[in-house]
Amino acid sequence: MKKTLLLLLVVLMVLAPLVAQGSKEDGSAAKELVVYASVDEANAVKILDAFTKDSGIKTSFVQLSSGPALTRIQAESGRPQADVWLGAPSDNHVTAKVDGLTVPYKGAAFEALGAEFKDPDGYWRGFYMNPLCFGVNTTSLAKRGAAVPKSWADLLKPEYKGLIQVPTPQASGTATTMIYSLIEIMGEDEAFTYMAKLNANVQTYTSSGTGPSKGVNVGDAAIGIQFSPAFFQMKANGQPVEIVFPTEGFGFEFPAASILKGAKNYEAAKIFMDWLVSKRGQDVLKATGTYFYPVIADAEIDPVMPAFSTLDVVGVDLAYYSSRKTELVERWVSQVLSAKK
Amino acid sequence: MNKSFVQRKWHGLIKLSKDPLLLSVIVVLTLALILFIIYPLLKVCIVSFQVDGRFSVKNFTSVMTYSNGYYMKALWNSLWMGAATAVIGTFIAYIFAFSLTRANIRGQKFFNLIATIPIISPPFIGALAVVMLFGRNGFVSSTILGMDNANAYGPKGLLFAQILTFFPVAYITLRGVLESISPTLEDAAMDLGGSRFTIFRKVTLPLSIPGIASSVLVLFVESLADFGNPLVLAGAQFPILSVQAYLEITGMGNFARGSALAFILLVPSVSAYMLQKYWVSKKQYVTVTGKPTQSSNTMVSNRARWALFALCCLIASLIILVYASIVWGAFAKSWGNSALLTLDNFRYVFRVGFESVLDTMVIAGLSTPIAGVLGMVIAFLVVRKKFFGRRFMEFSSMLSFAVPGTVVGIGYILAFNHSPFYLTGTLAILMFNFIFRYLPVGVQGGVAVLSQIDPSIEEAAIDLGAGSTTTFRKVTLPLMIPAFFSALIYSFVRSMTAISAAIFLVSARWKLMTVQIMSQVESGRIGSAAAFSLILVAIILVAMAAIKLFLRLKYHTNSSILTR
Repeated sequence: MKKTLLLLLVVLMVLAPLVAQGSKEDGSAAKELVVYASVDEANAVKILDAFTKDSGIKTSFVQLSSGPALTRIQAESGRPQADVWLGAPSDNHVTAKVDGLTVPYKGAAFEALGAEFKDPDGYWRGFYMNPLCFGVNTTSLAKRGAAVPKSWADLLKPEYKGLIQVPTPQASGTATTMIYSLIEIMGEDEAFTYMAKLNANVQTYTSSGTGPSKGVNVGDAAIGIQFSPAFFQMKANGQPVEIVFPTEGFGFEFPAASILKGAKNYEAAKIFMDWLVSKRGQDVLKATGTYFYPVIADAEIDPVMPAFSTLDVVGVDLAYYSSRKTELVERWVSQVLSAKK
Repeated sequence: MNKSFVQRKWHGLIKLSKDPLLLSVIVVLTLALILFIIYPLLKVCIVSFQVDGRFSVKNFTSVMTYSNGYYMKALWNSLWMGAATAVIGTFIAYIFAFSLTRANIRGQKFFNLIATIPIISPPFIGALAVVMLFGRNGFVSSTILGMDNANAYGPKGLLFAQILTFFPVAYITLRGVLESISPTLEDAAMDLGGSRFTIFRKVTLPLSIPGIASSVLVLFVESLADFGNPLVLAGAQFPILSVQAYLEITGMGNFARGSALAFILLVPSVSAYMLQKYWVSKKQYVTVTGKPTQSSNTMVSNRARWALFALCCLIASLIILVYASIVWGAFAKSWGNSALLTLDNFRYVFRVGFESVLDTMVIAGLSTPIAGVLGMVIAFLVVRKKFFGRRFMEFSSMLSFAVPGTVVGIGYILAFNHSPFYLTGTLAILMFNFIFRYLPVGVQGGVAVLSQIDPSIEEAAIDLGAGSTTTFRKVTLPLMIPAFFSALIYSFVRSMTAISAAIFLVSARWKLMTVQIMSQVESGRIGSAAAFSLILVAIILVAMAAIKLFLRLKYHTNSSILTR
């Protein structure tokens, strides 16, 4: 008798996790949306909270950088644990489309969107833009007695040694955008030679694309290279930050969103995709303080941000570059990281 | 000889088949161990030795030649970082343990408490503190020393953080070793006219050598497996194997190369573990005396006592500084810019991460007791029963001690991502991971207790007229319970603070606090990472206090791994 109980206990325990699995899934009824967010966590919260307020649809999300997100979506192919992939540069969404991991959806707001911001078949849509820039902590830089850099070339000066934080392309889409646009500006070999020289001044390569701004924020680094929103926000807070758009030109991102194939909350996902590029959804970018540039002309922007049309951005052929990503990242590792300090 | 072996096994089987229930328990447990411990590791090996479905070492040659030997550099970095952490960490721990057991310095209880605190810390705390204290705008480097070019990133910062994180493990081991060496031996040597230093050199040190070797090896394994500290501090310029395996899989989506890296990581850690378990731990000395080992202990001169006291103060104040900086970071309005205090960081955590706090408690709360009970059952079977596969059961249930979390995580996504075992994204995969990862603690504790309970104690109770139920309830159970709860506390702490395997397994529905902390750290939100860490530590402390109170009220004991 005792032993029967023991056996039962052991079997139950080994199987308990499987039993426990069902309980939480049941809660996921109709009006819910699960998101893989490759947008910075704080901004993902802002956008999704605004959507919940507007639509009454409850949202939950996991924050994942673009690389990890794509890997996970590929791993879960056909049985995604989320409904929508929000954020990550659009080349990732091109890959997801080609691999058959997403489904097309258009809707009225999609038709109104500029052709450069969307997939012609409706698989993905861009929903904001950000230029690359240098964010400079002027207090930190003044301590070193160095001037604010104006160009990519300036960054090579010895006075910036150990002051610069840059994301690593091994994990961050921001970093690959930087590599692609430098290749457009300088040519491929020159771009790598440049980055190898820059390595001497780099303090550390962060695994997240928004890592450098946080280093600049606390004065751990004096210069961070990444997309602009975090720096605009610091400036709006009145912090000693200067935003530099390098004179040679600079890349930009227009992250996209897709509905995942096999989404459990497909209806909610469609409502979300419509809302995202509508006037309402685009105004939310300013209202909630994301400091993202909207993709539709009549949406508002914050006064600290110069109009996007005045910026000297360099566009890149994402389909071409994303097909060469592995090769370019490997070249970066071998040529840039092993460069002499 | 061979025949008798077969015969013995055969008889064992016959005997077992007469007890089908016991047999079923053994079969179920063995299958579970194979599925959740062996199979994922096998998957890592298969994937790393396979190209296009055929056996090949191409993944390894490609790892070796990748980018001018970048990954070979990662292997080398991991190995010497592990060795340096092990040696320096053990050295510091030995000084600490020696001072507390031999030098009779003031404030022993306080020092003991301080030295064990890092054990309950979430990952990243060491790394965060290094940046906050010794970075460019760090409290020590910039504010106190006025340096303007301090750099917390790279090997030095990482070494510091790892020593800080792992030296308590060595301290607990070495303290136990030094306590088991009877001071009367040293007294005897002194009576025979040896000088203090000679006694240390010829008596104390030789007796503690096996303990030191064991602690060096354990620290080496822990350092190799560490993920949180190198992720923040190593960066791309100082590659570390566990982080590179993670980036290769999650960043580049290259499972074959990631598995190859994981396999390479597995080799030194399993070797060091084997060395520790099957060689060093067999050489432990125990000095047995009949009387209580009280000693007037004059082994340490007054001057040396003060020197040791000063050293302990220095180490303790470093640890306090680290935790003070975390508390400060959690309440500072904008760390590094303004000294104003605020609750904003906690508000942010509760807004963004409250769900993960609940999830973590559910996952750890559910898997810990299961791991504890299964551990006791396995220990019972291994110690008191004889059956075919007994050694396999013991070996496989202890294996998780040796396998770095990164390797386990990769193994789990490779093994449980398709039918028949489709588990990714579920609560189940996280629970299986935690149960089987922290099983060894229960098994180890259970084996230790059961082999210490001499059946004669139970026989004595029966001779005095107690029934077998009463004997079990009043004698055996109270003896086992404290060890069981010690194991429970330990695996709860480990489940709450786990990151390296769990990072591969979390999902939108099931989040872990440690992974949330990692996301804060990665994007440099230091304040909320610190706030998250404080909440995590608070939960652990409350849980430990609850378990202790329960033990005191119910069984009138105090035993816990953290206070022993």
